[in-house]
Amino acid sequence: MSTQTQQRRRRRGIRGFIHRLRHSRFLSNLAANRLAMIGLLIITLMVVIALYARIFIGGVGPIEGYYGEIMGSNLSGNAEMAKAQPSMKYPFGLDGQARSIFPRVLFGSWLALKWGTVTVAVSTVLGVSFGVIAAYYSDLVDNVVMRTMDVLLAFPSLLLALALVSILGTGLQNAVVALILVYTPRFARVVRGAALAVLEDEYIDATIAIGAKDFRVLARHVVPNCLAPVTVQSTLNFGLAIIDLAALSFLGFGAKEGAPSWGMMLSAGVENGLHSAWWWPFFPGLALALTVLGFNLLGDGMRDALDPRMRDAID
Amino acid sequence: MASKWFVVKRLLLLIPVLIGISTVVFAILHLGGNDPAAVMAGQGASQEQIETIRTELGFDDPIWVQYTRFLSDVSQFDFGESYVLKPGQPVWDSILVDKLPVTIELAIYGQLFGVLLGVPLGVLSAIKQNSLTDHITRIGALAGISVPIFWSGPLLIILFANILGMLPASSRIDTQYFIEGPWVFMGNELPLTGLMTIDTLLLGNIDAFFSAVEHLLLPAAVMGIYSMALISRMMRSSMLEVVRQDYIRTARAKGQGQKITMLKHGLKNAFIPVITVIGIQFGTMLGGAVLTETVFGFSGLGVILVNAIQAGDYPVVQAAVLVFAMLFTLVNLTVDITYSYLDPRIQQ
Repeated sequence: MSTQTQQRRRRRGIRGFIHRLRHSRFLSNLAANRLAMIGLLIITLMVVIALYARIFIGGVGPIEGYYGEIMGSNLSGNAEMAKAQPSMKYPFGLDGQARSIFPRVLFGSWLALKWGTVTVAVSTVLGVSFGVIAAYYSDLVDNVVMRTMDVLLAFPSLLLALALVSILGTGLQNAVVALILVYTPRFARVVRGAALAVLEDEYIDATIAIGAKDFRVLARHVVPNCLAPVTVQSTLNFGLAIIDLAALSFLGFGAKEGAPSWGMMLSAGVENGLHSAWWWPFFPGLALALTVLGFNLLGDGMRDALDPRMRDAID
Repeated sequence: MASKWFVVKRLLLLIPVLIGISTVVFAILHLGGNDPAAVMAGQGASQEQIETIRTELGFDDPIWVQYTRFLSDVSQFDFGESYVLKPGQPVWDSILVDKLPVTIELAIYGQLFGVLLGVPLGVLSAIKQNSLTDHITRIGALAGISVPIFWSGPLLIILFANILGMLPASSRIDTQYFIEGPWVFMGNELPLTGLMTIDTLLLGNIDAFFSAVEHLLLPAAVMGIYSMALISRMMRSSMLEVVRQDYIRTARAKGQGQKITMLKHGLKNAFIPVITVIGIQFGTMLGGAVLTETVFGFSGLGVILVNAIQAGDYPVVQAAVLVFAMLFTLVNLTVDITYSYLDPRIQQ
């Protein structure tokens, strides 16, 4: 007994963390899943591209120069060069304003990942808070919180986002706020389910019995034990969030006209190049679909690697 | 009767949701940045004119009076008058009635596409678990839920319309059969459904029917890819679960053949949870309708919603959002009740 305690004590800190990682069944299950690893590879690649684009393409010059003069080779003086096919010099071709599509698609990954992360991170935090509170406190609190979530879930997601955008006004920031409100209820529902399972455990009773305050019980014991399904849900929703953001931009409510976001490029490409320049809508959409596929592959593998009790909490 | 009580309970649970939905929709007008009275009065209207309109429309009343009036109006399909898109015209009669069938037709055929392909693929995948077919189907399904409609749509248009020249790229029917609204069709004034594939048949015009089907193929496929992917995944896992049940073992033990066991006992039971998926993802389908209509140039509810938001035509936005939410709620209600009849265990 005492040696066990000693061992456990020795394994605190960084080394303990590494030890736990190496012996986690979840991670070894996940690492054995080839599709999940392909997903992780795609995501890593996209992150590298995003950082590269941010540092080497977007970092220079004024913000308005992201696109136009600095990013794309501006050849608008030469009319027949506009909408040129993919070539060695312009791997993804030129769009209608004679801008090289390649660097714009690279930069799009920065925008997609950045705003996707903001959307998912904020709605995860909000959803975890609401979910844990609903599970822990009285029926009244539970009902008020969850019925509110039900109302938000009663709208088709993209349509709720559109309704919110019509209240908040258009623009990328407002689109992100709208999507945060759309995604929060999903996390709240999953976390509430997981937290209810955790609250059945005896160590929770023990913690309450030794006089821990509500906040401590929730923050130190309930939330950490709900993290696994939350992580899976975040990964799966990351892809959806990126698509929905691009969809709002595509419909004209997200990124500014001419901004190098995938949704905006697709919208311009479909409107002006659908019948004359296939590469214009093709490449931004390919990047978008590939990124989302990466998150779906990883999230799917994570769900399979999860222990069954937690798996049930995720829809 | 347990099932009767389940339906009653389910209907009662609907009340808070409906109140919530109508509150959100009511809020669109009142939280939206623009002053509705000013928008209605038009540019260059004097302060007095704006105030007159404000009083006329009752924007001076206390908020709860406005809310109850909104509820009673909406329950009679009175969404007020359009500000911008068709100024002064009633929103429901002159805008939505024409647009709703377009979206419903898209959703029905998209869902049909998803079910007709998704179910067999899922069953195949489950029967041949871990075979090459299974792997391809599963990866295909993951790809299917990753591809955004506003990319798969253009891709199919480029392939089937531009390169192969097989299918039309936009609109609902060839221009020679051009239709204006659901009530006037090729010169005939008939109370028609507004669903192009039904109306053409009702009029007995087979050529027009095939033209309508041709125009629907690509949009329905684009809408259906996502639901096909989801349904095949759900069908597979549900089927795998069902084949491990005792009643399947019993059927096998009494000497029934593999095929009949799978189809008669397996498929029937495995299909039940899939129905829920169909209901849940109907919401995604309606969201997808907005994008599909935009890509294929259908003038449905989705396109109207987008136009109304851009123009600041709040009554139209309210009506469109409410109709979408009601459709979604209705479908989910139907699915839940169907489910409870098919699988009486969940009623407890």
